Amino acid sequence: MRNRNLWYWLFLAPALTALAMVVLLPLAYGVYYSFTDWNGIKTPSFVGLEHYKALFYEEEFRNALWFTTKFTIVSVFLINFFGLSLALLVTQKFRTNNILRTIFFMPNLIGGLILGFIWQFIFTKVFASVGELIGVEALEGWLSTETTGFWAMAILMSWQMAGYIMVIYISFLEGVPQELLEAAEIDGANSFQRFYHVTFPLVMPAFTVSLFLTLSNSFKLYDQNLSLTGGGPYNSTQMVAMEIFKTAFVENAMAFAQAKAVIFFLIVAAISLTQVYINKKREVEM
Amino acid sequence: MKAKKLFPAVLSLGLLIGGGLAGCSSSDDKTSGEGGKDGDKVTVDIFQFKVEFKDQFEDIAKAYEEANEGVDINITTVGGGEDYGAALKSKFASGNEPTIYNVGGPQDVADWEDKLADLSDTDAAKAALSGTLEGVTKDDKVLGLPYNQEGYGFIYNKAIFEKAGIDPKSITSYSALEEAVKTLDSKKKDLGLTSVFALPAKETWVTGLHLSNVFLAPEFDQNVINAFESKEVTFEHGDAFKKVLDLQNKYSDQPTVSLDYAKQVEELFSTGKAAIIQQGNWVSGSIAGIDEELANSGVGILPIPVEGYKEDSIPVGVPMYWAVNSNKDEKEVAAAKEFLDWLYTSEEGKTAVIEDFKFIPAYEGYDASKISDPLAKEIYEYSSAGKTLAWTFMGYPTGWGQEKLGINIQKYVSGEMTWDELVEESTKAWAEARK
Repeated sequence: MRNRNLWYWLFLAPALTALAMVVLLPLAYGVYYSFTDWNGIKTPSFVGLEHYKALFYEEEFRNALWFTTKFTIVSVFLINFFGLSLALLVTQKFRTNNILRTIFFMPNLIGGLILGFIWQFIFTKVFASVGELIGVEALEGWLSTETTGFWAMAILMSWQMAGYIMVIYISFLEGVPQELLEAAEIDGANSFQRFYHVTFPLVMPAFTVSLFLTLSNSFKLYDQNLSLTGGGPYNSTQMVAMEIFKTAFVENAMAFAQAKAVIFFLIVAAISLTQVYINKKREVEM
Repeated sequence: MKAKKLFPAVLSLGLLIGGGLAGCSSSDDKTSGEGGKDGDKVTVDIFQFKVEFKDQFEDIAKAYEEANEGVDINITTVGGGEDYGAALKSKFASGNEPTIYNVGGPQDVADWEDKLADLSDTDAAKAALSGTLEGVTKDDKVLGLPYNQEGYGFIYNKAIFEKAGIDPKSITSYSALEEAVKTLDSKKKDLGLTSVFALPAKETWVTGLHLSNVFLAPEFDQNVINAFESKEVTFEHGDAFKKVLDLQNKYSDQPTVSLDYAKQVEELFSTGKAAIIQQGNWVSGSIAGIDEELANSGVGILPIPVEGYKEDSIPVGVPMYWAVNSNKDEKEVAAAKEFLDWLYTSEEGKTAVIEDFKFIPAYEGYDASKISDPLAKEIYEYSSAGKTLAWTFMGYPTGWGQEKLGINIQKYVSGEMTWDELVEESTKAWAEARK
């Protein structure tokens, strides 16, 4: 028995070491730094909870948090809506299925930064030209107001992630037993009823995964934010990750940024865990 | 049996950890050359921010290496769109400290103080023009050497001005500037302009640092240390500030909040779609990339007028300073100093500084007639005529210029904030940062 224990730990050791080195240790360091006055250069001294107290009065951080929350709600909905729709589309018996799947998945292969720049061009140049051509002023000057900036981010994010989420839904949709659907059909259920009462409950686990992924990804978004709007105009489309980065490197307040990061971590963890817990309860066993 | 089983486990563990550590350690060997097994070889690692002269700088370093055997110079450049300050901090945090790096002004000097070697005994420090060392001198110790001088103002397109019948020499006051802008605006179609100005409010350094500096410098008596020590900012010349900003914004391509440097310089100015931009001599390269001829002979610079103070001056200052890492061993520090001295005081170095780097020298003993870039030349002329304003924005509280004032200016130009609110918020943020 003791022998087996040794083996157990020995085989686990590489993974545990790696985890400790790249996740646990930095996390512990981060938490430690958030209680000091570290500026990235000098040796830090301890200041206790000061940064956490100051956080309550920080308007910038609150604005960023609020913007991120709004963005997350909208993009989680959009991404999952489009992801599921696309998945339903490509699991129908069309001949172009495989090509369509590839096409839908492709945006996900482009890095977030590049995507941001591409879409920046689309929003500022293409939209403006089209707007000028058809005389719709609303299409001009995207990315220069808070609202359009917000929607630009949501569009970019859904465009990129819907294909990825689609793949997850596909795998679950294809796992739905045909017999159940046939049985429902024989019982006289129409296609909507079949989807809602048979397919939907059975793909519930896919929702758990997809919601978790979209939720945490939207919350932590940084590169698309940086390349598309850069937080502008006047920091109104600045998301939390970017705000933290700016606090750390532009305002040179490393420790304060760490405190923000710790709070941010707790928020994301709490929301994600709650979501997974709720979703898990709704999953049905086959 | 037991040993047989144990072997693969230990091996895999060893490989994993070994592989992981190898990635971290391999990079340090170069710098930590204490003891120096290979004789008197000294490695000088330079971590610098100026992207524009990267290639030329590497060439001159190579020439120096050839002339001075035993000195090895490594240059790393992070700048332009990248955040140099952030990169420098990570570089230090990684333990891979450079020998020569850059500091910007009093705030950087205060932050990095423990890692700055005293450079007052270098020839370059003695040759530095008066005033250029102001921001990096502390307790009689010179902690940095200026790169060069730079100046900014309203860069204009000579051909367009000529076509519109405006004499740029006559623009030495705000009213003359306004007059010229109105003339240009009325002839927009004939001149092929989309707008007179291109105001890049997206770039908070253009508005929050450079533009504001012109109007805030007078209240700090044009001294960067005064700005650095000041507990408050009063916007004494706020009205003049507002006028110039409004003028640029009104006659600029819209929306200015999403107008960036590339659009301002390359898309609008270099193609002749905008007649005037607020920028400095560093744009020469960008303009040359689009229209070589325009860069070489078609551009000039106008002062940014501060009504009620100086209306005919150009802000000239030092963009960054060379600093030497005092944590390094003596030999390396000495080698670094020698290299910097050579660069700025030897004949060969001087030629490179003026002709290859196209710098406006910040040191004595240069032949100014050799400056080839027209913008640089004009700025040098302003400078010798004493028509300059100091760069005091290096003394603003950290992040204030860009993150507070620059952002407020974005709000102001998009109508989210009135000028009074801007002044109020910005002064409050300054006071808070200096509490």
